[in-house]
Amino acid sequence: MIGELIDGPFWYFSLVVFCIGVLFRLISILRAGLKPDLAVPRSGGSTGALRNLFSRFIPRRDVATRGRLTFVAGYLFHIGLFALLFFARPHVDFIAERITGFSWPALPYWAFIISAEIAFIGLLLLWLHRLLHPVTRLLSNADDYIGTGLVFLVMLTGCLALAQAFEPLRLLHLFLAELLLIYFPFSSLMHAFTFVFSRSYSGAVMGRKGVNA
Amino acid sequence: MRRALFSSAGVETAGFSAVLMLTLVLAFLLLMAPHAMAETAGNAPAIQVPNPSTDLWREVRQRDGVTSGRSQIAGVESGTLINPYGETWRNFRMKQLIPYSGYLLAGMLLLLILFFLVRGKIRVKAGISNKKLFRYTLYERMIHWFIASVFLFLALTGLILLFGRSLLLPWIGSEVFSLLASASKEGHNLFGPVFAVALLLVFIRFVRRNIYQKGDLTWLLKGGGIIGKGHVPSNFFNMGEKSMFWLLVLVGAVIVGSGLILVFPVFGQARITMELSHVSHALTTLLMILVIMGHIYIGSVGMEGALDGMTTGYCDLNWAREHHAEWATLCEQEGKVITDVEVSRLRGDGDTQQHAATSAQETG
Amino acid sequence: MSHDFAKGVEVLSRQIDSRIAAYFSACVHCGLCAEACLFYTETDDPRYTPIYKLEPMRRLWKAQHTFWGKFAIKMGLSKPLTEQDFADWEELVYDSCTMCGRCSMVCPVGNDITYMIRKEREGFSAAGYAPVGMQEATHRALTIGSPMGITLKTLQAALIHVEKNTGLKIPMDQPGADYMTLFSSMEVVNFPEYIESIARIFDAAKVSWTISSEAFEATNSGIQIGSHDAAREIVSRVVNAAESLGVKYVISPECGHAYTAIRWEGPNLIGRPYKFEIIHILELLDQLQKDGRLLLSGHTDIPLTFHDPCQIVRRGGVVEPPRDLLAKVATGFVEMADHGTMNWCCGGGGGVSANERAEELRLKVFDRKRKQIEALGVKTMVTACANCRIVLEEGIEDREMDVQVIGLTELVAEHLSHNVTPG
Repeated sequence: MIGELIDGPFWYFSLVVFCIGVLFRLISILRAGLKPDLAVPRSGGSTGALRNLFSRFIPRRDVATRGRLTFVAGYLFHIGLFALLFFARPHVDFIAERITGFSWPALPYWAFIISAEIAFIGLLLLWLHRLLHPVTRLLSNADDYIGTGLVFLVMLTGCLALAQAFEPLRLLHLFLAELLLIYFPFSSLMHAFTFVFSRSYSGAVMGRKGVNA
Repeated sequence: MRRALFSSAGVETAGFSAVLMLTLVLAFLLLMAPHAMAETAGNAPAIQVPNPSTDLWREVRQRDGVTSGRSQIAGVESGTLINPYGETWRNFRMKQLIPYSGYLLAGMLLLLILFFLVRGKIRVKAGISNKKLFRYTLYERMIHWFIASVFLFLALTGLILLFGRSLLLPWIGSEVFSLLASASKEGHNLFGPVFAVALLLVFIRFVRRNIYQKGDLTWLLKGGGIIGKGHVPSNFFNMGEKSMFWLLVLVGAVIVGSGLILVFPVFGQARITMELSHVSHALTTLLMILVIMGHIYIGSVGMEGALDGMTTGYCDLNWAREHHAEWATLCEQEGKVITDVEVSRLRGDGDTQQHAATSAQETG
Repeated sequence: MSHDFAKGVEVLSRQIDSRIAAYFSACVHCGLCAEACLFYTETDDPRYTPIYKLEPMRRLWKAQHTFWGKFAIKMGLSKPLTEQDFADWEELVYDSCTMCGRCSMVCPVGNDITYMIRKEREGFSAAGYAPVGMQEATHRALTIGSPMGITLKTLQAALIHVEKNTGLKIPMDQPGADYMTLFSSMEVVNFPEYIESIARIFDAAKVSWTISSEAFEATNSGIQIGSHDAAREIVSRVVNAAESLGVKYVISPECGHAYTAIRWEGPNLIGRPYKFEIIHILELLDQLQKDGRLLLSGHTDIPLTFHDPCQIVRRGGVVEPPRDLLAKVATGFVEMADHGTMNWCCGGGGGVSANERAEELRLKVFDRKRKQIEALGVKTMVTACANCRIVLEEGIEDREMDVQVIGLTELVAEHLSHNVTPG
């Protein structure tokens, strides 16, 4: 009974909340408005925006040293999560069946496991960094911990269900993923989408000034 | 594998017996068995004929030692029908490992409780001061809690796998337990390599300060001060901590090695290797869990001021003087003593605490 | 000081545009901005984390622009911004930020934190929570015409000396000149050598230029304290003077915030593009030199480095001109490890040097610059901002270092080729 709910209506409900929520957040950002820049630009804003969108993937020299832990753990987590979220066989099948209707090549099982392990190492280190570093400790609020915790639980239940032999374990994983989808638009997890905006806005301004950001 | 062997025997009945005759003793016996039975039934006078199936079973069961057959299936041990050590291993696990390790763990817990009741919390004798020493960097604390959390998860899932059937199954029923066991197994396997990474990080970071040096023996002889009353000077790490480090590293290496053999059965290891790996994995992890129980005890309820260094990075000056006198003296000489006020500024507590509280509340 | 909390909140909430909304939405509290901020690296005080200085504005954004924020305020789960928050954050917003923009360069999600501080200061100054020193400077800029109280008479007195030293006539209020020059108060008072230098250079390069008696002050306290109205008033004086003289260009002097104010913020403050162009003195010198109008001869061999003024280089985009010029006149030019758009601030920008309360902190964080210079081992530092120069000199004195600071324009003027007539 509960299983059917999780697998059916609740899944669609969370998907709808996620989509509408994300859209709502993005629209609310755009609705805040932006005055046009009247200063004569040195070079094009859109080039700067595009440049900044990608250049920020590479850290600056001193932040790469002083903030090495955040940088390494951050990359481990994000790369691992990206790989297992979109290229693990069960996820590819699920997305193909429920959303896209088509599938794409998935990672072999061992690569899926390794990416999960990399993601776990990254997430645990990031979480500990958040708890232990004076700066992140001061900055972090309930939202940061709920977001991290939910992602961790989703990943953990996913790994517990790896045998793919027990329906309840799959449903638990799915249920937590649905909670995550619902929580997503209301939290700083939104950075997965909004980083495009923030990088582009800054890149455009810096590009107009002729600064390579 | 077993099925493969029989089917190759079937091929021989069709007339190819000469080809594999030399090695397939087992298959031959298997072939002969029904005929022998038929003949016995047909002839009226009962003569004493030894039951050939006994011999067959003896060979299959390999009571007289391992004999290897040949199979068309290429694979590890595909020529062995039954592994004779399997039963030995199974008996060890069920009849010795599970009960005795259970007693040991419970005994350790009891011991710690008793110790706490007798000795109580070991206080900082001079009282907590308002001065601190910087003890562990952010990175050191991060990898400590990293290996700690992974260890606890692995210990928990490992213990479920070992004791679950006897302790949990009767309580939660087979349906729930099967879920739990499967989840534990998958989780345990996935986090095993993560523990290896954590162990490597901890080893590289802490090895220098854990090399035994002069004075460590004195510490040992005086029982680390936990038993006696006197102060036992020691450097950054004392003899006990150093020993625990080396235990973690060496025993940990065995744990990781045996664990990897068990989790990746793809490198040609035979069942006997797996059984030995399992036994050594079980014994070493058991030892490690016992030691870590003591470690957690001292770090939490056992000793005042012991946990601070690992959570905040700073330890109390008086605590350091009493437990790591040499190191504390060195720090004091180098002027590394920091006031409480400075520590709370560096940690962003102090006057902003109230704002942090409101902002946390506001996001909730 | 009169406080007006309601006005502060109202002004602050008006500052929240798409950029700021996107920035707050994207921040994951990773703390990397702290590692780029000299106020954090030199004090290890986590409160000096750039994004933490924006807590009041973030809370207002949360309460007004997000679902949970609105919900929590309605349900009484979270407290709205209070006047005490303004009081508590004033020091973080003004004393411990020079708006140098280094944090904006390292943020992994690309947040322009400096832009947000600039906007947050609007709310703070409207509420009356701004340092006394900066309030007074802004008041002087609006009433007297200069944050340091420089009047036309002071300038004229300085110009008499310049004319005596150079033997050149300084053009004043000449309609139809190509270039109108601005100065910062500090140049008039502390570094009249700058005025001498440009007089010599323009004479040598045959540049048609003038000073306006109506608007010669370039510094803009308005953008430092965060007062849109004051900043607009100060910019529009320059714009009116330049447009009434009918000049083609206005030259922004060797002053950091002046350039940001007139070049990048100005048109947005007055709400229309200018009828003339803004050019920074370094850009102009580089251009003259490249066009062959500015002939240089000889060079200095002493090892020296260039301190990039944040507002000119990182926030202004004048990155290559100073390097091109130095390559012409100095053979011993070496770069610091962090240079150009990633240079470390002197510690006194963004109005911090006008804020007496911040002096102790400013001298403390000068350590970052000291380490940079010591790592390089040079004894001469060239810069192109009068404020940087004063702050660097104070820091050098405080740390008892043996380092000399010189202005780039002066260095260029010293190597003017006198014997050759420009073609």
